[in-house]
Amino acid sequence: MNGRAQSRSSGLFFGSVAAMVALVLLTQLPGASTPRGYLKGAVAPLAVVSSGVLDWAGGGVAVLRDAGRLRADDRRLSAENAALRRQVAELQAQGAENSELRKALEFQKTIARGRADGLQVGMVVVGGAGLVGRVSEVGERSATVKTLVDAESRVNAYTSKSGLEGTVIGEGGPLGMEVLPKPGVVVAPGEWALTSGIGGLFPRGILVGQVAQFHRRDSATLEQADLAPAVDFSAISMVMVLTDFRPAAP
Amino acid sequence: MRYLAAALVLLPAAILQVTLAPRLDLAGAFPNLVLLVVAGWTLARGAAAGIRWALIGGLLLDLVAPGALGVHALALVVAAYFTGFLQRSFAPDPLLLPAAAGALATVLYNLVLLGLSELAGHPLALLPVLQVWVAPSALYDALLMPLAFLLLRRVDRALPLPVRIEW
Repeated sequence: MNGRAQSRSSGLFFGSVAAMVALVLLTQLPGASTPRGYLKGAVAPLAVVSSGVLDWAGGGVAVLRDAGRLRADDRRLSAENAALRRQVAELQAQGAENSELRKALEFQKTIARGRADGLQVGMVVVGGAGLVGRVSEVGERSATVKTLVDAESRVNAYTSKSGLEGTVIGEGGPLGMEVLPKPGVVVAPGEWALTSGIGGLFPRGILVGQVAQFHRRDSATLEQADLAPAVDFSAISMVMVLTDFRPAAP
Repeated sequence: MRYLAAALVLLPAAILQVTLAPRLDLAGAFPNLVLLVVAGWTLARGAAAGIRWALIGGLLLDLVAPGALGVHALALVVAAYFTGFLQRSFAPDPLLLPAAAGALATVLYNLVLLGLSELAGHPLALLPVLQVWVAPSALYDALLMPLAFLLLRRVDRALPLPVRIEW
């Protein structure tokens, strides 16, 4: 049965091969091109329609592929955005921390002179530009200086032109000055504030700061001025301690 | 009925061969859909049935593809005949036999086409064509052939076998 099927398929095979070879040769004859063209032209619309359908479907697939790619891009960018936001938050936190540390450094300074050099608590410290603060702690070879910007700092001062008396208060940044008002006298921005010597803690005439703004309030018993410190506490590197001035006990 | 089924399967395959298959390009090769159908049908029904489908599919392919009539039919008939050898020689297997048949049929089909091209006065460098075109196509068809065989076996089961009265 199997052999018969094989011989049948072999017969069909050789017959088909012969027929197809004949067809190939026949359609190569010069006169055969016209009927061959008609035959091919009859089925060509099917291929054109099929191609059009595939183009249309391909466009849809491309849209889906693009949508998928856009979704993937969106996910990636969202992740990057979240990471960047986290970095920004971390940097902001670090910035705030740095600012706090910088301020803390401005509030007090350590100097390389101490009891061995004759330093005592309360001595006045000045920089090249003006008053820095007072010695708050003294070690054998070092001392700590509490600067003007420390929140506990109080310095009695007067304004250079208007001559109003007041107290300079450390506020951790720009200094504030509470001014005792005098009728008809106004403090002008740009005036200097100098130590008044009242209270005996500081000698008179040391530069404290410059008036940046004056807030006049008719109903207030004290007027307020904003001062820019004369000394840049963040950049100070060398100071002098006035050892020949003995401050009064606070 | 048999020829109607052949036409219903082979006509779309021939049209998709010239329209869809080139878009499924992988490493320079694309699948031979008509060849897959013919080889799958040969595995399902034997060489004689495969050769008949090869004639129909080949002529349809000749009509929709450029070139002389009969070229693809001849190449497919050769592929179907030798696939029939595999079908008779090995036990039915849904995976390896179809894959091997797909690869063998593709190589034979392309060799016949190359030979006919040579005879028509359009020689091609055999070795580079085998490496760059035929081998990847054979691999591609080998991968697709089990699926094609699976589908064609369903068609085979759906169609009644012809009753042959023998004396």
